[in-house]
Amino acid sequence: MGDRMKCQDVQKKLSPFQDGELKPKDQDQVAKHLQGCQACQEEFAKLERVWQALEGLPEIHPDPDFYGQVIKKINESYERRPLPGLKGVFHLFSPLTVCTLLIAGVLIGTFLGNFLAGSGLFQFRPTLTENSPKAVEVVSFRAFDPVPPGTLGDGYIRMVSNTEIQHK
Amino acid sequence: MNFPIRRGYYKMAFLRANTSCLSAFGDSLEMIDPLVKDEEMMAATAQGDEYAFEILVRRHQASVLNLVYRFIGNRSQAKDLAQEVFTRVWQAAKSYEPKAKFSTWIYRITVNLCLNELKSAGRKKLTFHFSNVEGAETGVEALSDESPSAEERLLAEERSRQISDALQSLPENQRMALILKKYDDLSYQEIAQILGCSVSAVESLLVRAKKNLYEKLISREK
Repeated sequence: MGDRMKCQDVQKKLSPFQDGELKPKDQDQVAKHLQGCQACQEEFAKLERVWQALEGLPEIHPDPDFYGQVIKKINESYERRPLPGLKGVFHLFSPLTVCTLLIAGVLIGTFLGNFLAGSGLFQFRPTLTENSPKAVEVVSFRAFDPVPPGTLGDGYIRMVSNTEIQHK
Repeated sequence: MNFPIRRGYYKMAFLRANTSCLSAFGDSLEMIDPLVKDEEMMAATAQGDEYAFEILVRRHQASVLNLVYRFIGNRSQAKDLAQEVFTRVWQAAKSYEPKAKFSTWIYRITVNLCLNELKSAGRKKLTFHFSNVEGAETGVEALSDESPSAEERLLAEERSRQISDALQSLPENQRMALILKKYDDLSYQEIAQILGCSVSAVESLLVRAKKNLYEKLISREK
């Protein structure tokens, strides 16, 4: 930048000049130019007028209990928030995920139950143990039988079968 | 931070660690040596030291509150948002790294919250309410130390309203750059860090902001 700056160049620099953001050398040159150039002085006066106008905006003061209100807000935010360790778990088990898992669980359970019951595997028969005089029947997988043992249906079928035998 | 604040619980820890910064007048926040850096306070806050956090809040509450107020233009909303800023500071204390000045960091949080607030409010135009009960108490008092007459007060209120309306009508980034320069006297470099843009972009924002504001003020006077 030479000593004889063009007005166009100066006017581009007036805003950073006002803010004190030019390099010291440029700052001095713009100041010198302004002393002898009325057009640039008028442009600079506009910026100064804006700056002065902004002085008129009020300043507000924080409430004396501002800090107390911040503390209250912080504690409220922790009350609303799940424990950090459980955060991921809650994200994992969103309502939609829970519903999907539940339906999938029932379907898979039914399929596996029917498959295993029909395959003949895991057919638990009544067993007698030395300590227990009564028969203990494990019905876990037979629960998927058409008529699971120990149910009302099973009782009814047994009763009917006995009646038919007696008739014969 | 994994814990809520328990008032007074951590106070003694900070006092023990910083006894040299306390005055002989006793345990008073105002007596803490202002030379104790914000970054040191923040490190103590990250350890859960409520006393250090309280000093940070008291140091920065006015500047944060006024930044929000001038940007949003609504006093009660500004209070809420300023409190939210400090809530975020507490929550982010452990992840804070003193790469930049603390004031730059907290202003960045403030700016982001303000922009989000405007977005969530559907860019609804908010204006200053100097004449309402809350705003009137400080709105005009700040203009003059002498007690003004009723007429002078009205004129000053009207003038303030015009200026604030003109300021609120500026685009968000121009408005924020102007407020940070005018009221917080930050350098272009600091403003660039806060707004997340280049220094030349800040210069350009300020040139346009001043030009726009001048035109708006002139048009309102006509």
